[in-house]
Amino acid sequence: MSIVLSGITAGYGKDPDVLANIDLEIETGGITVLIGPNGCGKSTLLKTVGRLLKTRAGAASIDGLDILTSPSKQIARTIAYLPQSPAVPVAVSVEQLVGYGRAPHQSLLGLKSAEDVERIDHAIDIAGIGHLRHRQVAELSGGQRQSVFFAMVLAQDTPYAMLDEPTNHLDLTHQIEVLELIARLKTEHGKTAIVVLHDLNLAARYADRLIVFKQGAIYADGTPDEVLTETTLSEVFAVDSRIVTDPVHGRPFCIPYPHAAAAQDGHGVDLKAGQERRAGAVSMR
Amino acid sequence: MTIAAQTYSGMRNRRALVLIAVTLVLIVATAIWSIGVGAVAIPADVIINTLFNLDGEKQTYIIMRSRLPRIVLAILCGGAFALSGTIIQAVIRNPLASPGIIGINAGAALFAVSLVTLFPAVPQVFMPLAACAGGLAAAAVVIVTARTRAVSAAHLALIGVAVGFVCEAGVDYFLITSSDAERSAPLIWLTGSLWGRTWGHVEIALLPLTALGGLALLLAHRLDLMGLGAETATGLGIRVPRERMVLLTLAALLASISVAVVGVMGFIGLMAPHIARHLIGGAHRLLMPLSMLVGTLLVLLADGIGRAIAPPIEVSAGILAALIGAPFFVYVMLTTAAERDT
Repeated sequence: MSIVLSGITAGYGKDPDVLANIDLEIETGGITVLIGPNGCGKSTLLKTVGRLLKTRAGAASIDGLDILTSPSKQIARTIAYLPQSPAVPVAVSVEQLVGYGRAPHQSLLGLKSAEDVERIDHAIDIAGIGHLRHRQVAELSGGQRQSVFFAMVLAQDTPYAMLDEPTNHLDLTHQIEVLELIARLKTEHGKTAIVVLHDLNLAARYADRLIVFKQGAIYADGTPDEVLTETTLSEVFAVDSRIVTDPVHGRPFCIPYPHAAAAQDGHGVDLKAGQERRAGAVSMR
Repeated sequence: MTIAAQTYSGMRNRRALVLIAVTLVLIVATAIWSIGVGAVAIPADVIINTLFNLDGEKQTYIIMRSRLPRIVLAILCGGAFALSGTIIQAVIRNPLASPGIIGINAGAALFAVSLVTLFPAVPQVFMPLAACAGGLAAAAVVIVTARTRAVSAAHLALIGVAVGFVCEAGVDYFLITSSDAERSAPLIWLTGSLWGRTWGHVEIALLPLTALGGLALLLAHRLDLMGLGAETATGLGIRVPRERMVLLTLAALLASISVAVVGVMGFIGLMAPHIARHLIGGAHRLLMPLSMLVGTLLVLLADGIGRAIAPPIEVSAGILAALIGAPFFVYVMLTTAAERDT
C-alpha cells in the first residue's frame, strides 16, 4: 500500500513545467514533509496528486488506484486534500462543514448515515472544536478555521491526507497544535500524512521523511538528519547556516543567516558561486 | 440508510419548517389579495367562492381568465428565478452572482426579442426555446471564455457582466429600430411584467420549470460542496468542471424559461437567495426551498401592488419587485457584514 508517482510532469496553463519527471513512492504510515523555496513545485505536487492539476506526463496511483481513471469519489475515500487557504463558505456552521468531509462516503443526495454522524462527532472531538460546533465558520479566527477544516479532513476518514501548509498564517500556539494533531493521526490512527511546511525546524521535528524540492525536482529525500544539512540550505535556500541538535527533540535544528553575514564571520560560501550553481541547475532542466 | 436525529440539526429543521410554513401562509394570503386588486376590485369572499366553486357571488371570467394565470406564473417564475440565483451563487461563489449578472437573463431576452421582431409569424410556443438558446448561449460564452485562461469564480462573474451588457445592447437595438406601437409589446414584457399573461404561458412553463426545479432540489448536497471552492470540492470527490457545467446549465434553463414567459426580473435571482440565506443559513437542502418561496412571494407582492397602485394602469412587477426588495436586501447585507466583523 503506497502512493506511487512515476515520471510526473506538471505545470499551469501554457507556462513551463513546474514539476519535471518526478518519481516518488510514499509508503503507508508516517509523516512525509515536503520543503523547498517558493515555486519549487511542492504545492504543485500535492495539487497533481489531489487531481486539481492535470499531469502533463507520467502516472500517479494511490493504493493501486490510478488517480486519473478511477472514480473521483473512490479516490476521495482514499486520500484527503486540504488546500493552502481553503475558501470559507458563507452561513455554514462548523458542524455542517465537518459533515461535508463525509461526502465521498455518501450517495448523490448526501443523506447522513449513523456512521457518518459518529465520524463527524469523533472528528470534532479529536480536533478539539466541540465548543465551536454551532458557530459559523466565517466568524472564526484563522487558527480556529484551520482546526475546523482539519476536522473535515478527519471526518473524511481516509488512510492518506495531504496538507498544504497547514500552519500558514497561524500563530505559534496554533502551529504546534496543528502539528501535534498530525502526529496523533499517525501514532493513534495509523494515518499517512504528506505535509508541505515552510518552517524547516518544525519540519525536522515532525517529519519521518523529509523531501527537499528545488526547481521542480527532488533535491534530497531522507530522514531529517540525512537531509537537513548546511549544504542543503546553501544550495536550495541560498542561505548559510549552522545545524545544531535540538536539545528537546534530538532533531536537527538550523540557524540560517544570509550569505553576506556569513562572509563576515568567515563561515559562508561565496554568494556569487551559489547563484551560479542555481543558474546551472536551471539550464540543466 | 438512517437519518440520525440530532438535537441541533433538529432545531435547525424546526426553524426551517416554521419559516417555510410562515412564507407559505404569506404566499396564499398575498395570492388571494392579489387576485382581488386591479382595474376591477374583487372582495375576498367572492374570490374564495369562485376558486372553490362555492355558492354565492362569483367572478369567474376575470379571476379564471385574467388574474389566476398571472398568479400561477408569479409563483412559478418567482421560484425559478430564485432557484437559478441560488445555484449560480453557490457555483460561482460570488455574492453578486445571479442569472442577471452572468448574462443569462439578457441572453434569453435578446434571443426572444430577436424571434419576435425578426420572425413575427413564429408561434409563441417557440419563445421559451429561443430564450433557452439565448440563456444557454450567454452562459456558454461566459464559461468557455473563462476557461481559456483562468477558471476563477471572479473571472466568470466579470465575463458574465460583459456578455450581459452586449446582449442588452442587442435588445436595445431591436427596440429602437422597430419603434411602431405594435412592436412596443416586447418592451412591456421585458421589464418583467405579468400583464396579459394567459393559461397558454402557464402551459408553456409549468412542466419544464417543475421538472428542472425538482432536479435542482435533488442536487442540494452538491451545491453545498461546490460552495467550498474548487480545491476542497475536488478533494471531496466532486468533479468540479463537470459539476459546474451541469449546475449552470440547470440554472440557465430555469431563468431562461421564466424570462420567456414573464420577462426579465433580474433582481429576484439576486435578492431572494440572500434573504433566504440570512433567514436559514447556507445549507442548500433548506436554503433552496426557502429561497424559492421568497422569490415567489416577492413576485406575487410586486405584481399585486403593481395593479393596486393606480388601477387601471399597471406598474411592472419586475420594477416593483426591485423597489420592495431593495430596502430589505440592503438591510440583510448590512447585518450580514456586521456579523462577519465581530
